[in-house]
Amino acid sequence: MLKQKFARPVSVIGTSSLPQRTFDDPEYKDLSVYELWAAACNQAMQDAGVKPKDIDKVVYSQMANFVTCGNVMAPVGSLEEWAGLAGKPITHIEQACAGGYLAFNEAVNSVASGKYDIVMCAGIESPKHFNARNQPAYMLQPIQKYDGWWSPGRALFDTAYSRFDGVSDNLLTEEQGKYYIKHYGIDEKTLDDTYNAMAINLRYNASHNPRALARTPYSEIAKKAGYDDVMAYMRSKNNPKITQYIRKSGSVLHNVEAGAIIVCSSDIAKKYQDHPITVIDHAEVSNTQRFPFCFHQMNVDVRDALYGGQDNFNPDDLDLMITTVMTSGEQLDSAEVFGYLPEGEGYKYELDGRTRFDADKPINPHGGDLSFGHGFGCAGINMLSEAIFQMRGTAGTDQVPKPVNDVLVRGMGGGHTTVGILLENQD
Amino acid sequence: MYKLRPILKPYYDNLEKGKILGMKCADCGDVVWPPLPTCQKCGSTNLDWIDLGTEAVIDEIRFEDSSVAGDYTFRKADEFFVSKEPYCICIGHFPKGTRQFHAALYGVTEANKDQLISQLPITADAEFIQLDGGFKSVGFRVRA
Ligand SMILES: [Zn+2]
Repeated sequence: MLKQKFARPVSVIGTSSLPQRTFDDPEYKDLSVYELWAAACNQAMQDAGVKPKDIDKVVYSQMANFVTCGNVMAPVGSLEEWAGLAGKPITHIEQACAGGYLAFNEAVNSVASGKYDIVMCAGIESPKHFNARNQPAYMLQPIQKYDGWWSPGRALFDTAYSRFDGVSDNLLTEEQGKYYIKHYGIDEKTLDDTYNAMAINLRYNASHNPRALARTPYSEIAKKAGYDDVMAYMRSKNNPKITQYIRKSGSVLHNVEAGAIIVCSSDIAKKYQDHPITVIDHAEVSNTQRFPFCFHQMNVDVRDALYGGQDNFNPDDLDLMITTVMTSGEQLDSAEVFGYLPEGEGYKYELDGRTRFDADKPINPHGGDLSFGHGFGCAGINMLSEAIFQMRGTAGTDQVPKPVNDVLVRGMGGGHTTVGILLENQD
Repeated sequence: MYKLRPILKPYYDNLEKGKILGMKCADCGDVVWPPLPTCQKCGSTNLDWIDLGTEAVIDEIRFEDSSVAGDYTFRKADEFFVSKEPYCICIGHFPKGTRQFHAALYGVTEANKDQLISQLPITADAEFIQLDGGFKSVGFRVRA
């Protein structure tokens, strides 16, 4: 049993289960982020068996509210109204794609401090559409039409130095591949095959998960394009390289997202939820990409902080790892740094399909950012939701077919913040 | 007492004069570039300006074809560069510096990259990149 690290123990008692879709999808026709937010919050409250009056505080995460939601700065009051929570304390967290994880940590800390008993963290994000400032929120336009074309890859960098160095955005994609080749002696072709295999594995997972955004297996896509060998398709011009190492299949898919999670003091958790999940600990670091391999270093620093809090922690005891994969390299690097896969050997696990949800070292059983989808500041909430479903054994057709009692959720946002969260079934 | 003083303006003003300034910690000797008012090694605020010269040692070349169009998240950062000459990314350090940095590196092509990589580390000259916002940033160019 892991050692929970809070002054007052905290448990997860509820979450939401909205699918990953875009506003172009008929399923989301005529909706705005407000309806999605209300659905996510209410689903989580119903799942936890609590009413709005029971929620003591809300932590809300959104990165691009100003850009995509009618130039609104922080719609905290109206979001509360939509969920029946008007008048409650609410904190807005904007820390790029790490925001969802940090909202969860903030909710946990709020309970752990003893100040609040039941706290909800929730997120909303619309990466592909925006609502103009002179129109109601359901009137949406493609983000490409946003005045002055907004590139999140640019917005992530400050205007002191890093936005203007011509370097910063590129490092999001390439560093881990460089690191891997440099330290473990594999060649570029093997790395390419590894990344392709990873994309296939994640899509395999997503094809079993109706909540995922992209669900057609690559084998099927390859056949349609005239390829019997899926790897030949993955290496072809149909799946072009978008950087030196990363192909289209290895880059994050964006979609509108809403999600919510409710945590409470562990001593009252059973009153609401038959299967509460214990929050063991969390750790987070921020840094810049100015220095080489900073991306990798953030994983190292979070691992040391998180595992350092445990006595004799053995990462082999983890049943599942859920990790942000903005581009292929991130999954491989984080899985090895956190000891979920052996250092320098993780690529073999991807090549052999051993990271699929039904294999021996499952990673991102929902499909990860490459197939499940990704909604900036909400992404962390839904990654954690997947961990919760897996630990309860209620994930459905992408359920990992073994007891899932110890889970590491590792998230990253903006190239500047990395988070690790340990969860355990203790009840 | 922490001394309030401009950091960004003198840095960018000096780039216009062809000078690259960093800051050096008077307590531990660590050099920070681009300049910051706090030592990244020891936390001291006792830092002075240092002229880093206009040459750097290039330790690694990360060749990337900047004409490859990617997902919009990962588009090349040269959107604000006046010149659209392709460049790649390098890891380098200043002879007077104490840390490696990332920078844009000009003059690397498919044709010469293997030879250049085999010669690493190499010396490159500063390339003062003109930005459309009316200021310059620092990249490097391999010697012909
Ligand atoms: Zn110092």
